[in-house]
Amino acid sequence: MTTYVELQVTSHFSFLRGASSPDELFAAAALQGHAALGIVDRGSVAGLVRAWEAQKATGVRMIAGARVDLDDGRALLLYPTDKPAWSRLTRLLTLGKARAGKGGCTLGWSDVVAWQEGLVAILLPGEADAVTAAQLAELSTTFGMRGYCGLAFRRRPDDALRLHDLAALAGEAGIRAVALGDILYHAPEARLLQDVVTAIREKCTVDTLGYRRERHADRHLKSPAEMERRFAAFPDAIAATAAIARACTFDLGELSYQYPHERVVEGLTAQGALEQLTETAAARMFPDGPPQAYLDQIAHELKLIGELGYAPYFLTVNSIVAESRRRGILCQGRGSAANSCVCFVLGITSIDPIKHELLFERFVSGERREPPDIDVDFEHERREEIIQWIYDTYGRNHAALTAVVTRYRARGAVREVGKALGLPEDLTKALAGLVWGWSQEGVGEKQVAQLNLNMNDRRLRLALELSRQLIGVPRHLSQHPGGFVLTHDRLDDLVPIEPAAMVDRQVIEWDKDDIDALKFMKVDVLGLGMLGCMNRAFNLLEEAKGLRVGMADLQDDDPDVYAMIQKADTLGTFQIESRAQMSMLPRMKPARFYDLVIEVAIVRPGPIQGDMVHPISAAARGARNPTIRARTEGRAGEDARRAAVPGTGDEGGDRGRRVHRGEADQLRRAMATFKFTGGVSQFYDKLVEGMVPARLSPRLRRADVQADRGLRLLRFPGEPRRQLRQDRLCQLLDEACHHPDVFCAALLNAQPMGFYAPAQIVRDAREHGVEVRPVCVNASRWDCTLEPTRGRWLAVRLGLRQVRGLANAHGERSSRRAGSRRSIRWRKCGGARAYPAPPSSGSPRPMSFHTLGEDRRQGAVEA
Amino acid sequence: MPRVASLYLPQLAIERLRRLERPRALPDAPALPLLPIDDDPGACSVPRGGGWRPGARWAQAESARAAIAEEAAALPLHQQPTMRELGRRSEAAEHPFKRAAATVAAPQPVLAAPVAHAVPLILVEAIGQRQVIAATCPAALALGLVPGMAITQARALVPDLDIRPADPGGDGAVLDGLTLHAVRYWTPTAAPSGADGLWLDLTGAAHLHGGEARFCARLVRFCRRFGYTARVAVAGTPGAAHALARYGRDAVTIVPTGGEAQAISALPPAALRLTPDAITAAQRFGFDRIADLLPLPRGPLARRLGLASVTRLDAALGRVAEPIVPVVPEETPVAKRRLLEPIGTAEAIEQVIADLLADMMLLLQARGRGVRTLVLLLDRIDGSEQRLAIGTARATRDAAHLARLFHLRIARIDPGDGIETMRIAATRTDPLGATAVAGDLTGEAAVPAVATLVDQIAGRVGEAALFTAAPVESDVPERAVRRTPPLAAPTGWPAWRRPVRLLSRPEPLIGVLALLPDAPPRRFTWRGQVHAVVAGDGPERIHGEWWRRDGEVWAVRDYFRVEDEAGARFWLFRRGDGVDATTGDLSWYLHGLFG
Repeated sequence: MTTYVELQVTSHFSFLRGASSPDELFAAAALQGHAALGIVDRGSVAGLVRAWEAQKATGVRMIAGARVDLDDGRALLLYPTDKPAWSRLTRLLTLGKARAGKGGCTLGWSDVVAWQEGLVAILLPGEADAVTAAQLAELSTTFGMRGYCGLAFRRRPDDALRLHDLAALAGEAGIRAVALGDILYHAPEARLLQDVVTAIREKCTVDTLGYRRERHADRHLKSPAEMERRFAAFPDAIAATAAIARACTFDLGELSYQYPHERVVEGLTAQGALEQLTETAAARMFPDGPPQAYLDQIAHELKLIGELGYAPYFLTVNSIVAESRRRGILCQGRGSAANSCVCFVLGITSIDPIKHELLFERFVSGERREPPDIDVDFEHERREEIIQWIYDTYGRNHAALTAVVTRYRARGAVREVGKALGLPEDLTKALAGLVWGWSQEGVGEKQVAQLNLNMNDRRLRLALELSRQLIGVPRHLSQHPGGFVLTHDRLDDLVPIEPAAMVDRQVIEWDKDDIDALKFMKVDVLGLGMLGCMNRAFNLLEEAKGLRVGMADLQDDDPDVYAMIQKADTLGTFQIESRAQMSMLPRMKPARFYDLVIEVAIVRPGPIQGDMVHPISAAARGARNPTIRARTEGRAGEDARRAAVPGTGDEGGDRGRRVHRGEADQLRRAMATFKFTGGVSQFYDKLVEGMVPARLSPRLRRADVQADRGLRLLRFPGEPRRQLRQDRLCQLLDEACHHPDVFCAALLNAQPMGFYAPAQIVRDAREHGVEVRPVCVNASRWDCTLEPTRGRWLAVRLGLRQVRGLANAHGERSSRRAGSRRSIRWRKCGGARAYPAPPSSGSPRPMSFHTLGEDRRQGAVEA
Repeated sequence: MPRVASLYLPQLAIERLRRLERPRALPDAPALPLLPIDDDPGACSVPRGGGWRPGARWAQAESARAAIAEEAAALPLHQQPTMRELGRRSEAAEHPFKRAAATVAAPQPVLAAPVAHAVPLILVEAIGQRQVIAATCPAALALGLVPGMAITQARALVPDLDIRPADPGGDGAVLDGLTLHAVRYWTPTAAPSGADGLWLDLTGAAHLHGGEARFCARLVRFCRRFGYTARVAVAGTPGAAHALARYGRDAVTIVPTGGEAQAISALPPAALRLTPDAITAAQRFGFDRIADLLPLPRGPLARRLGLASVTRLDAALGRVAEPIVPVVPEETPVAKRRLLEPIGTAEAIEQVIADLLADMMLLLQARGRGVRTLVLLLDRIDGSEQRLAIGTARATRDAAHLARLFHLRIARIDPGDGIETMRIAATRTDPLGATAVAGDLTGEAAVPAVATLVDQIAGRVGEAALFTAAPVESDVPERAVRRTPPLAAPTGWPAWRRPVRLLSRPEPLIGVLALLPDAPPRRFTWRGQVHAVVAGDGPERIHGEWWRRDGEVWAVRDYFRVEDEAGARFWLFRRGDGVDATTGDLSWYLHGLFG
C-alpha cells in the first residue's frame, strides 16, 4: 500500500500555465492509483469545484488548496485543514486580489502571517542557501508544526544534492520536509501543449520562448509507487504527504450556503413571511377573492417551497423586484420562475401560469433538489442602479457577480496556436475563418485541403493538432452579465472575491455551473434594452396622448397586430425584427401567439442547421406528413420544441423518453449552459441510439440526427422565455400597430439597440405616415419628443441625442434651458466638434439653427 | 529676395515600381525584310533589291553621269544635290554614328516608354488594423480608387486589381538620391519636402541654369527621363511653392516675388500643409479656398483651425520665415599622394602608406570618426589599379596600428613597373570621440586593448576564424552556443555546470552498466578504455525541441555527470527516459568532458 499523496498539482485554471483539466488529472490519478490529489492553482481556487466534481466521478479525493506567490519571491502552497481555515484562505486571497486588481493576487508575508491559523503551509524553496534558511526559520515560527518544506525533483544538474541540502536545512529549522511532484499536466504528451500555452502567455513564438519555457522537466503526473521510489532517501517526506492529507479534512461539500435573511415581517419565519406576502398579494390581485384554481396552485407551490426551504430566495427576489418598482424601473421575471403562481401573484412575472397551463415542476421539483433559478430583466440603462442597490443593501461582502470562464474555442485556439508556432497571420486568419466557432473538432484536414494548403507541412499539422487540444482550455475569468450570488454570512468566507474590470463590480471565482454544483443561490439581474424602450413608450403615451398603459394591460389577440405581422411589417419589434424572421413571417402567417412562439423557436441556427425549418413551416401550413404534423399539433410551442430537439424537456419528447429522465435534464442543462464542457456530445450517441427503435423513416431520422448536431448551438426558447416574448411582443406590436409615432420616438430614444439604425427607423415611421421633424436647437429636447400636428399621428421631433459629438451633459444643459429662446452662443458648450449626424439621408436637415434665422456656418464660426 | 522651387513627384511610388519593372532588354529589332535571291550571282557579289551596293553609282555610264551633272546644275542652288549624292568620293561621308543612331531603334525612349499596364496598380499600407490604399496608378484613380480607401472596398469596386505593399523606404531612397544630386549639381540648398517632393533654394542660383523657366523645364525633363512625372513651382516662399506645385493648374508655375498671395488664393486650404483635423475643420466651416481665410480675424481663425495652421498661412505669404534645412552630402574621406617617381619597393610603399594614414587620421579627427574599413588604391604606371582593404574590429584612429595591418598584407601588392599614385579611402567609419588614456593620471593599470590583437590575428588568419561564444536560450547542448564577433561580451550563461569541452558529435559508449530508469552508469567503455564510475549526478532531463523537427517531438536525453576512479569527469547521456520506449532507444553517448 502506498502512502504518497500528490500535493502540488496545477490545473489549467492557473491560466496559461497548467495544461490539463481537473477531469484529466483525476482520471489519470485514478488510473495510477492515487488516493488523493492536492489541487493548487496560482492565487486562485477557480478550478476547485471542477476538481471536486471530478472527485465525485473518480473517487480520488481532492484536497483543496492554493498556491500563493508572495511579493518577496517566496512561493507557498496553502492547504486549509477545516472550514474556518478555508474561510481564512479565501479571505486572504480576496485581500490579495483586491490589492492587485483583476487577474492578479498580490500578497506579502505579513498577510500570510495574519491569516495563517489552521492553514498548512508548504514552502517551495529555491536553492539551499541562506535565504531559504531564513525563510524556513520564519515558516517555523509562524506555522510551527503546520509548516513544511517542499522537496521536488527538477531533473536539472545537482538535483540530488539540492534536495539533500534542503532536507538538512529543514531539519535544522525544525521543519518537516514533504515530497512534491510539481505537476503541470496529467501525461507526458501534454508537454507540447504546455509549451504552447506558455508561448501564448508570453506573447511570443515557441521558437523564441527560450528560457521562459518551464525549465524543470518531468512535470507529468507520476504514480505513487514511482514517487516513493524516487524519494526513497527521504521516507519522512513521503510520510509527511500522507500526514498533510490526513490533516486537511476540509471538503468543498461542507460549504453550506445560507440564504440572506429578508426582514420583511418581524417575528415570522421566512416561510411564514412568504405565505403572508403571497396571501396579501393575491388578495390585491383578485379583489373579489382568487379563483379556486389559483388557491390550489399557490398552496401546492408553497408546500413544495416549504419542504425545500426556498422561501428566503423568493423573498430576496421579491425585494429586488419591489425596489425596482419603487424606483420606477421596469422589470420582468423570466426563466422557469414564470411557471410559478407565487411569482405571478407577487408580481415577479406577469405571466399567468394557470391561463397558460405551465408546469410548476419545471421550475422547482422535489426530485431535482436544486436551487430555483429566477432571472429578472431590467431596463438596461438603469440596471446599474439595481446592481449598486444590491451591493448597498446586502453589503459588498455578501453580494458578488458570478464569473464566466472564458475558454478557447475552435477559432481562437487556431489563431493563438498558429501565432505561437509562428504561422503567418493571414494563414491563421484563413484557418480560423474555416472553422465554426463552437466546433469541438477544430480545423480538420478536409477544411485545410479547401485552402489548398499542404498538410505535409509539419508546423501546420502541429498547429492543427495542438489547437484541437487547446479547445476548451480556460483563458481567463470574466464577469457574468448579471448573475448575483447573495449570502447571509460573508461571501468571501466561502469563495475569494476579485474586483472586476468594471468599476464598482466584484466577481467571485466560480462560474454558474460551480455555483449550481455547490447549490448556491443565484439571482440573474439582466439588462434588456427593450424594457427601457417600452418604459419610454409608456411615458410618452401618458405624456402625449394621456393614455396610461402598464405591462399588465396587454392583449395578445389583436387581429390588427397579427395582420401586421403577417405582412412582415415588424421593424424594431423585439425577436421578430431580424431579416431572417421577417422573411419567415409571410410564410408562417402567425395568427395566434403560439404561432409566434414556433416562429421564434425555429428560425435559429440550430433548427436551420438541423434542416427542420421547412418541415415545420410546411406543417404549419397544413402539410400532410403525419409525423411532423403530430409534432406540431396540440400545444404547438411544446411540440415544435420537441420536433426540433428530441428529449429536451424533462417531461421528455416522444423519442427523448428513451433517454433517461435525469439524463434529459442534464442534457437540457448542457445545452442551456452553452459552453464547452463537452457535455452535449456525450449525450449525442445516446440520443441517436434512442431514436433507432422509433419507427421513423430513415429520411426523417437523418434529419433528426442533423438536428441533434445543431444541439449545442440551440438554446431553445420554450416556456421559460415565452412570457418574455409575449409581453414584449404584444406590447410592441400593439404599439407599432396603434401608435407608430410613439413607437418610433421610443425606439429612437432607446438606441443603440436592435437590428436597425435610426435612419431605417425614421424611414419606417415615414412609411407609416408619421411626420419626422429635424433636430432643432430650440425645439429639440435631449430625447426625441412628440409634437402636435394636424395629421392622424403626432409628429416626432428628433432629439439632440441624434447629434453626433454632442455629449449628454451638453444636451442636458441645453434642455434645462428648454423653452427659452437660445442664441447661438449656447453652442459654445458643444464646441466646434458638435457636428450633426443626419439621422437619415433624407430631409432631417443637418444642424438646425434655422429658428435663429442664422446661417449654420456663420453660426459655427461665430460661436 | 529668396526664390524657392518646389518639385512634386505625384506618382513617385507607382512610377518607382514601374521603373523597377521596366523591360531590361532592348526591344527586338524589327526583322529585316527578306531579300530576293539574285538569279545571276556572277554580276555582283552583293545582293540586289535595296540597300547600298559598292560601286553602284560610278559604275554607271559616263554619259549618264554627265547628264545628271547637267540636270543638277540646272537646279537652283539650294536644290542641288550634295556632292556625295552625285557620287563624288572626295567629300567625307556622313558621320558614321549619326546614321547608325537613326536607323537602330533608339534605346532612350525605352526608359520613359509608356508600358501598357493592363491591370490597375495600387499600393497598400496598414494603418492600425486597416489596410488602406497608399497610392494609386492613374488607371486605378480613374476607376474611383483614391488613397485612403480601405482595401476591401477597393477590391469590391474593382475585382481585378494589382495590389502591392507600399514601400515608403524605397520611395524615400529615391527622394534622397535626388536631393543629393540636386545639392551636388543644381543648388547648394535642397531638402526633401514631405514624402513626394523636394525644395530647391534657387536664390542666386537660377542664372546658372539659364533662368528659372529653363531650370524648371530641365528639371521636368530630367525627371521624365527617369520615368517620373514632375510638377514644379517657383515662388518667393517654400510654402507657396509647395502649394502651387501640388495644387496649381500647370505642371510648371513661376510666381514673381510678391505675387504669392494672389497665386495661392484660389487653392484649397489643404495646400497649406494643414493637419487632417484642421482640414476637416476648414471644410466644416466652409473654407473652400485659401482666399476665404485671408480676410478672417486671426483670433477666431487660430481657435478654429489651430495656431499651426495660421503659422503655415503666414509662412506661405512670407510673413514668417520658413528656412529650408539643407541636406549636406557626406563625402568619403580620401587621402591621396602623387609620387614624383614611380615606386616599387615594399619599403617605399610602406612609407607612403604611413604618410597617407597620417593625412587620413587628421581628416577623421576633424570629423570625430574612427576607421572600420580602409581601402588602399594604388595606380600603376601601366594604368591598372591595385586594391587592398583592411578592416578593424573597433573604430580606431591609431595610425601605427593601421600601418601594421597594412604591413601584414603588403606582400599582396603587385607593383608591376611602378606605382605613381596612391590613395586611401575610409569606406566605413564609426563615431569615435577623444579617448582618455587610462593609467597616466590615476595610476591604474591600463586595460589591455584586445581589439588591436584581434585585428592583427584577423589579418593573418581571416576574420571568419575569430569568434567568441555566446549562449542561446536552448536546453539542447548543441544549440546552446553560437558564434559572435570576437569583441562581443555575451551574457546570460545558465547557472548550471556545463562541460569545458563539448564534443561536436556525441560518441557512442559500449559496455555501459546502469540501472533503469534514472541511475547513473556504473561503468562504461569509451574509445576502448573502460571507466569505472565512482560518483554520478543526474539525470538532467532534456527534451527535444519538438517545434523543430519530427524526430525531436518525443525525444528525451538523460544527462549524467560522472567521475571515474581516476578522477576524470564525463558528461554522458542516455537516449530515452528509461520508461517510455518512444523517447529513445536507451543507447549511451559521451557528450563532453569536464576539466
